[in-house]
Amino acid sequence: MRQKIFLAVIGIFLDLAVVVGNGLAANDTLHDSIYNPGHLKPVDSSLNVAVGEPAPDFSLPSVAGREVTLSQYRGKKKVVLSFVPAAWTPVCSDQWPGYNISRKYFEEHNAILLGITVDNIPTLHAWVRQMGSLWFDVLSDFWPHGRVADAYGVLRSDGTAERALFFIDTEGVIRDIVVSDINVRPPLEEVVAKLAAMP
Amino acid sequence: MVQGSAGICRNVTISNHPLGEQMKYIVLYLVLVVSLFLPFFVPAAEKAAMPMPLPELVLEVPENPRHKEYLGLTGKTGTDFSIRDIDADILVIELFSMYCPYCQKEAPAVNELFAKMREISKNGPVVKIIGLGVANSQFEVDHFRDTYEIAFPLFADEDKTMFRALAGEGTPTFIGCRLKDGERPVIVLRQNGGFASSATFLHELIDKGGPQ
Repeated sequence: MRQKIFLAVIGIFLDLAVVVGNGLAANDTLHDSIYNPGHLKPVDSSLNVAVGEPAPDFSLPSVAGREVTLSQYRGKKKVVLSFVPAAWTPVCSDQWPGYNISRKYFEEHNAILLGITVDNIPTLHAWVRQMGSLWFDVLSDFWPHGRVADAYGVLRSDGTAERALFFIDTEGVIRDIVVSDINVRPPLEEVVAKLAAMP
Repeated sequence: MVQGSAGICRNVTISNHPLGEQMKYIVLYLVLVVSLFLPFFVPAAEKAAMPMPLPELVLEVPENPRHKEYLGLTGKTGTDFSIRDIDADILVIELFSMYCPYCQKEAPAVNELFAKMREISKNGPVVKIIGLGVANSQFEVDHFRDTYEIAFPLFADEDKTMFRALAGEGTPTFIGCRLKDGERPVIVLRQNGGFASSATFLHELIDKGGPQ
């Protein structure tokens, strides 16, 4: 009997040791929070807009709790739309932190940046908090699901968005489009060059 | 002889021995204690497995004359040099990315580490640091350097060749190497993620990377 009790106690302590060990490992690095979907089909949609056309207008809720409408910037600012596939995935989780320290390039060209994903606000809230404090609005194209992404032609067949950039001038006209391989981050110099090239 | 020994062993089993019961509890108790604390010692165990040879890494001589002087390089700008040729007793290689929010957050602490390295190198072992921008273009590396006013040399590892050679797992990572001990350069310390204190990290680095 004494033996059984002792073995039961050992069992409990061993379980505790495993839990404590796993907990430490999980907290060891925040990279563990990222879900890796593996290598994906580079592009899985067809554009519904073209350079020279008016950018489809939209209103979407932002993580900051306000409604952002594209046309509110008309006549005032150039707009860069940055669609990324999904929160908590590898490339997306560092693309915006990169833009977060690149504000000067946008300001130099009188441009603002709007980040868009098809995730819902609570998910985006948690994800953005993990990235730190972002200077640009992050918008949720969750419901109706991916409506804006679909209007631009960057909604993939699995319901995520492409990794895409739309450069829109102050008149609301699309001046450049970059739909990247979803697995690859577009280099910063390309973004800066396209900002500079916008009239 | 063998049979006799086996016979003795059969007769003196732990459970039948007067001290056997106690011994069993002692062994079980030790297993319990070790299993409880093992997770806390895993990182230390990993570090104890060092040193590992530093792989051959080739970089280009930087254009910045201060960086050239810092690294002790005399070659023409743009020509290749081996990382092992850097004029230092101990070298830290920081694996970073301009896009990594943790690297961004860590940048001021790394600048502080660099300043402490310069100070300690005046009278102690010469400790230097370089950064490798993992999957970053030169433009992105330069932007990171300018944003955080980083004074030590940074290099682009755009195709992640060096990251893989160094068995990198993520960013930031700090790899401490002993360069000058008359033998093949070795990795003496690997810090995955940021360090809590630049002074403690530097102390550990010198402890492990200094003359053995």
